[in-house]
Amino acid sequence: MLMGEVMREAAFSLAEAKFTAGDFSTTVIQNVNKAQVKIRAKKDNVAGVTLPIFEHYHEGTDSYELTGLARGGEQLAKLKRNYAKAVELLVELASLQTSFVTLDEAIKITNRRVNAIEHVIIPRIERTLAYIIAELDEREREEFYRLKKIQEKKKILKEKTERELEKRKVAGEVTEPANLLAEEKDEDLLFE
Amino acid sequence: MLGSAELCFNVDHGYLEGLVRGCKAGLLTQQDYLNLVQCETLEDLKVHLQTTDYGNFLANQTNPLTVSKIDTEMRRKLCGEFEYFRNHSLEPLSTFFTYMTCGYMIDNVILLVSGALQKKSVRDLLGRCHPLGRFSEMEAVNIADTPSDLFHAVLVETPLAPFFQDCMSENTLDELNIEVLRNKLYKSYLEAFYNFCKDHGDVTAEIMCPILEFEADRRAFIITLNSFGTELSKDAREALYPTCGQLYPEGLRLLAQAEDFEQMKRVVDHYGVYKPLFEAVGDGSGGKSLEDVFYEHEVKMNVLAFTRQFHCGVFYAYTKLREQEMRNIVWIAECISQRHRTKINSYIPIP
Repeated sequence: MLMGEVMREAAFSLAEAKFTAGDFSTTVIQNVNKAQVKIRAKKDNVAGVTLPIFEHYHEGTDSYELTGLARGGEQLAKLKRNYAKAVELLVELASLQTSFVTLDEAIKITNRRVNAIEHVIIPRIERTLAYIIAELDEREREEFYRLKKIQEKKKILKEKTERELEKRKVAGEVTEPANLLAEEKDEDLLFE
Repeated sequence: MLGSAELCFNVDHGYLEGLVRGCKAGLLTQQDYLNLVQCETLEDLKVHLQTTDYGNFLANQTNPLTVSKIDTEMRRKLCGEFEYFRNHSLEPLSTFFTYMTCGYMIDNVILLVSGALQKKSVRDLLGRCHPLGRFSEMEAVNIADTPSDLFHAVLVETPLAPFFQDCMSENTLDELNIEVLRNKLYKSYLEAFYNFCKDHGDVTAEIMCPILEFEADRRAFIITLNSFGTELSKDAREALYPTCGQLYPEGLRLLAQAEDFEQMKRVVDHYGVYKPLFEAVGDGSGGKSLEDVFYEHEVKMNVLAFTRQFHCGVFYAYTKLREQEMRNIVWIAECISQRHRTKINSYIPIP
């Protein structure tokens, strides 16, 4: 049922009751003490968000049972029913409104977190990653280059010493040392 | 004496009777009601009312015009006329006027007492009292704690004193008893008024007694109807029926035993005047309710009161017709302001 229609109906039945019963507003205002329709709040979990849900319950007796005893009692009873319906609808509406607002807040918070992660955290980490990778590559290249350089140097040194040796050999200063294995006769042997 | 009314009435009350008949001629006619029903806004309503006897009574109102403002202004106008009549009256007409105001006084006293129980301030309550029911001891009502205090300290000076005799057994004033008290007071008031008219004799008795009998029976029916399904016991209900009507004593006894609407209707079969009224009641929201039917009958009787001369009943009839007219105008204004025109023709027309 639509809220607007129910409220309109209730206001109209108030006019009807006033027409038949006269002005009972003062009687009603004077005799107000405890509420007859009360609300309990329960918690409901929707997608991880706790929402309050209101449900109404009746308590106590109707203290306005005898109002309009002399005139207009029927219209007053109809009026009470109409406004009770309106109050129930209002309670439902209140539940829906609070859940709407709470969910709205939750969605905003989640959105902010998503944006922050997407535009701040992830690029930062990615940049760090890229830097680390670049560093490692560079060091590897450095190492490689060092190794290569050392090899070159060793090769040059080796060639230099060989040339020296060749030169000395040609000059006759250096003979080849005796090769123990190539010798046929061994002087140290007494008996053959 | 048969001729005494024609001979002596005009001496004391002729001016006022002429005045009240002139005022009665200024009540809204069917044509006026048709004009009002066709208004689209409350401003149109105000313009239409200016052409009638109401004149410029809403001239000083600031915007926005609300239904309650219209109601207050109309009531103030009625009170002005009533006070004028009352101030110019002589005995026994002034006692008659006092009796008329007792009804409103009862409502005011109940209002003040219930407010005093809740410890509300007297100033606000005084503003909400019905102006026709003013009496000089109103401010002092809040000093009383129990009904006997209330009676002895405050009400013994007012015309309401004799009506409290029957109610002294009420020791506590809680919500249930407030309404019962109100109805008991009204019952005693109605019976006292009826006896006064009867003793007065003459044309006044001929006109007023049927009206008051109808009022008594109507209250009995409505109390019965509204007490189905409530905590009010049958004996308590019977104690609230005024005994000055046609239903006394058999009808009242049968009514007290009734459990639902059908049984009430069967009680009514014995009384020729009320049978057609109950037949005319429709079912549910389509037809007229019992209260509407009763209002129409009351209006008819009040209009008939004007066909006779030289009696005090014209003042009573005029006040009641004026009140009905106020209710009609407020009803039409509410329908217009809430844009709910389906039932706008449910006012009670005054022929």
